[in-house]
Amino acid sequence: MRIVVPMKAVPDLVEEIEITADGTGIDREYLKFVLNEWDDQALEEALLVKEATGAEVVALGLGSDPDIDASLYTAIAKGADRAVRLTGAGEVPDTATRARAVAGYLRDHPADLVITGVQAPDDLDGQLPATLGALLGHPHVSVVVSVALVTDPPEPPAVRVRQEFAGGRAAELVVDLPAVIGLQAARQAPRYAPISRIRQVMAAGGIEQVDPGLAPGSATGASGLAVRRMHAPEKTSHAQMLTGSADEVAGQIVDLLRSRGLVKG
Amino acid sequence: MPEHPGAVALEVTRTVFQGIDLAGKSLFYVVSTAVILVFLYGWYRRVDKYRQGRPAGRGATFWRAVRGKADVGPAGRRDTRTVGTLAASSTIARRDTSAGIAHFFIFWGFIVAFVATVILTIDHDIVGPVSNALFGHTDSFFHGPFFVVYSLTVDTFGFAFLVALVSMAVRRGIRRPFKLGYGRAQNPDQGYSRGRYVAGDWVFLGLLIAILVTAYLLTGARILSQGDPWFTALTPFGRTVAEIYSGLGMTPAAAATVHTYLWWVHAALALAFVAYIPYSKAMHILVDGVNLLASDRRATRDLPGPVPGADHAGYQQISDFTWKELLDLDACTKCGRCHDVCPARTAGAPLSPRDLILDLRQWVDTAEHGITLLDRESRPDATGPLAPAGEVPIAGGVIPAATLWACTTCMACVDICPVGVEHVPLIVELRRSLVEEGQMDPTLQTAMKNLATQGNSFGKSARMRARWTKGLDFTVTDARKEPVTYLWYVGDYASFDDRLQENSRLLARLLHDAGVSFGILYEDEWNSGNDVRRAGEEGLYEMLAEHNIAALAAAGFQEIFTTDPHTLNTLRNEYPARGASYTVWHYTELLAHLLDTGALPVRPLGRTVTYHDPCYLARYNEVVQAPRRILTALGCELVEMPRNRANTFCCGAGGGRIWMDDSMLTERPSENRIREAALLDVGYFVVSCPKDMTMYSDAAKTTGNDATLTVLDITRLVDEALVRPAPSVGAMDVLT
Repeated sequence: MRIVVPMKAVPDLVEEIEITADGTGIDREYLKFVLNEWDDQALEEALLVKEATGAEVVALGLGSDPDIDASLYTAIAKGADRAVRLTGAGEVPDTATRARAVAGYLRDHPADLVITGVQAPDDLDGQLPATLGALLGHPHVSVVVSVALVTDPPEPPAVRVRQEFAGGRAAELVVDLPAVIGLQAARQAPRYAPISRIRQVMAAGGIEQVDPGLAPGSATGASGLAVRRMHAPEKTSHAQMLTGSADEVAGQIVDLLRSRGLVKG
Repeated sequence: MPEHPGAVALEVTRTVFQGIDLAGKSLFYVVSTAVILVFLYGWYRRVDKYRQGRPAGRGATFWRAVRGKADVGPAGRRDTRTVGTLAASSTIARRDTSAGIAHFFIFWGFIVAFVATVILTIDHDIVGPVSNALFGHTDSFFHGPFFVVYSLTVDTFGFAFLVALVSMAVRRGIRRPFKLGYGRAQNPDQGYSRGRYVAGDWVFLGLLIAILVTAYLLTGARILSQGDPWFTALTPFGRTVAEIYSGLGMTPAAAATVHTYLWWVHAALALAFVAYIPYSKAMHILVDGVNLLASDRRATRDLPGPVPGADHAGYQQISDFTWKELLDLDACTKCGRCHDVCPARTAGAPLSPRDLILDLRQWVDTAEHGITLLDRESRPDATGPLAPAGEVPIAGGVIPAATLWACTTCMACVDICPVGVEHVPLIVELRRSLVEEGQMDPTLQTAMKNLATQGNSFGKSARMRARWTKGLDFTVTDARKEPVTYLWYVGDYASFDDRLQENSRLLARLLHDAGVSFGILYEDEWNSGNDVRRAGEEGLYEMLAEHNIAALAAAGFQEIFTTDPHTLNTLRNEYPARGASYTVWHYTELLAHLLDTGALPVRPLGRTVTYHDPCYLARYNEVVQAPRRILTALGCELVEMPRNRANTFCCGAGGGRIWMDDSMLTERPSENRIREAALLDVGYFVVSCPKDMTMYSDAAKTTGNDATLTVLDITRLVDEALVRPAPSVGAMDVLT
């Protein structure tokens, strides 16, 4: 079995993110990029499936993502069999373009299972796994918290996944392969890769570079959406500390709720 | 020579094998030979074990020590030991004078007894037969003045030996200091027994005492049987026994018979002991001198790098250990001093440095079918160190991961160990294996990831490192752009922790006021890697060090000073191995210098304070005077805590512990320390390490002492005492 894990580098959120002069993007020049945390979960789940089944795990990144090589080497250090860097998707691809680049690669190098992060800081709608499923014509499940190969019966090839819903409910689904999974959380916290091992992997090189060509998409080439203006988050007001005795504090809370119209009377 | 019992020996000597016939002598020689073979086999098995270790680079250290040469540390304390240390038992006397004195007499008593036996052998078994063969008559030098001096020496040293042994027995059996208790810090699920350790201790002590007691009973009988010639006055203790016999009505003839029996008992005990040595704790007689002379405190200050040519990190098999480390395992005499001082053990963590060493020894013995007879732990199930070879990993199996992670690397164990065991580097090696397997606290993992991406453990942007300088009314020089006298290596805590930034600003203002030329590296300063390295993440340490060394090389400065003692240790002692040698000071050394030269004019504060020595400053780097000079200059009365200077007690934050969960502790080391300070009549708990500031501020609160005991950095005291406006003295000279 071959599992491909598409991964994305996103700005480290500890950085002060600034908007570019034209107001349509973020200034990427001095930003430190790190692996999207949900992709880290996706990789972990893929490695767990590998440990259970002996599957091959391929970490996949876009060459235009800053610092993506560090994440690809880390993936190998953690146990991925191969790492592939895709080119030809443009400077700052949007999610639709990213999906088409990944689909282009998967068209030539088919995978039995694609596991990727359910979302990313710049894709909070979680469009990537769904778009990828649509482009490939594979079934897709998102918000998944565990993936296991169905062995009984062994045919047709399928995985049993657990999908989380609101309110603490969950569903267990059996999905025929090939399929695309948008992973919410792996069964265990992502493993730690010692830096010395990452550095060994880096010294050995071994990231394969592929220009897959974009899979056919919409006429405009990308999502068809254009960013007109970006805004920094509005500063919210600070917390208000309530002081006094328990009764006084209770009174203040009641007054607050009344003044905001949250309770009547 | 008179061979018949009861004869008055006119010649000044005594008869070797008095009362033993030819058959007896023959038996003695046959048994002695067998004993020597048993001894040599045991010794061979031990040496064969140590030879499995890889090179330790300690051969030169050992031979220098044998020649009496020691290497001294930064402030004159010895990093290596000499034969003098060994001869004086001074490491044993340290903080336990009576045990040291007792060991001194046991040590020399044993040597005298051994040399005495060798002399007899030379005279009786070499000089005698050789002269007989060559010249036809049996020569001997065992008479006259030589014999008198011999007798007096053996008699007095032997008695001191006996008294010392009895005092040790009283200590172990009646006084029972905590450190001699064998309770484990980490309790195996199915329980354990260390009864065989106790048996081993008593067999060792008991055998020696029995050998000496029979020696005196024997000597007394011999003197009485000889008719108490004049020269026995120079065998005072033996003669006293003879007088007691006499007083009890024993005749010289009876004494001769008693002598013969006692001779056999004494010989049997002595031979049994010799055979027993390599198979028991008596092994320390042979091993520990070598171990002590080959020990080097620098290996804890500047940790060893990865095992050359290994395909795995840390230690996974016996051949990963150096011979010195394998020797360390056998060298432990279970004296419990490390168990006593360990902050992790004190805090209720599952780590005792003593148990760690004993468990590793047991593991090696289990794997190698070791020859130790007693001195073993037993468990109802074969777990941990008793598990069959290869069944469990060393790190995380033989030694549980929680035990290894409990170490604060405070070095108290290495510092107090009387036989030169180096626990800390060993723990770090085992941690390296855990890191390789990813077995670590999630919080530690997060800190490591933050350090790898942003160069700090706070998970803040590297570009925010110098943000603390924002509140100053002057700009701190960028040492990357403008040359300065001092490069201030600020460190993560002093840079990023909200509670400590004000303190960093205070220090900056003081230095500015004193006209000191100083600068910082801004975002090019990354964590020095001290704690990272001690947490076992060697690759990350290398990465951080490489970055910092490049940043230092690109900056213009003459000397470095640091806020953080941990950073000081790594910059001062570990970066030189990577080609970056600088003069590195702690800020207390710089402040003390500025106060001495009058660059910082101060008025006396008249406060009563206590001072906490940071482990990495006082124990590792011997900086103990500078902070005390500051307190004196500020007119503060310093009341020392019982544990001060090199005997300081850890705050619990070192070695990466600050990034780990400490909820399993019964009493945090910092709380233990604050309670120690609260017993003194002082209002201030003065610190000189950013981590201490956070640890002790918390501990003062959690122990309810924050109303009476104020934790503050020494910088704040200097600031309060400062007479402003300070005269500008211009750029000052460098410290050196």
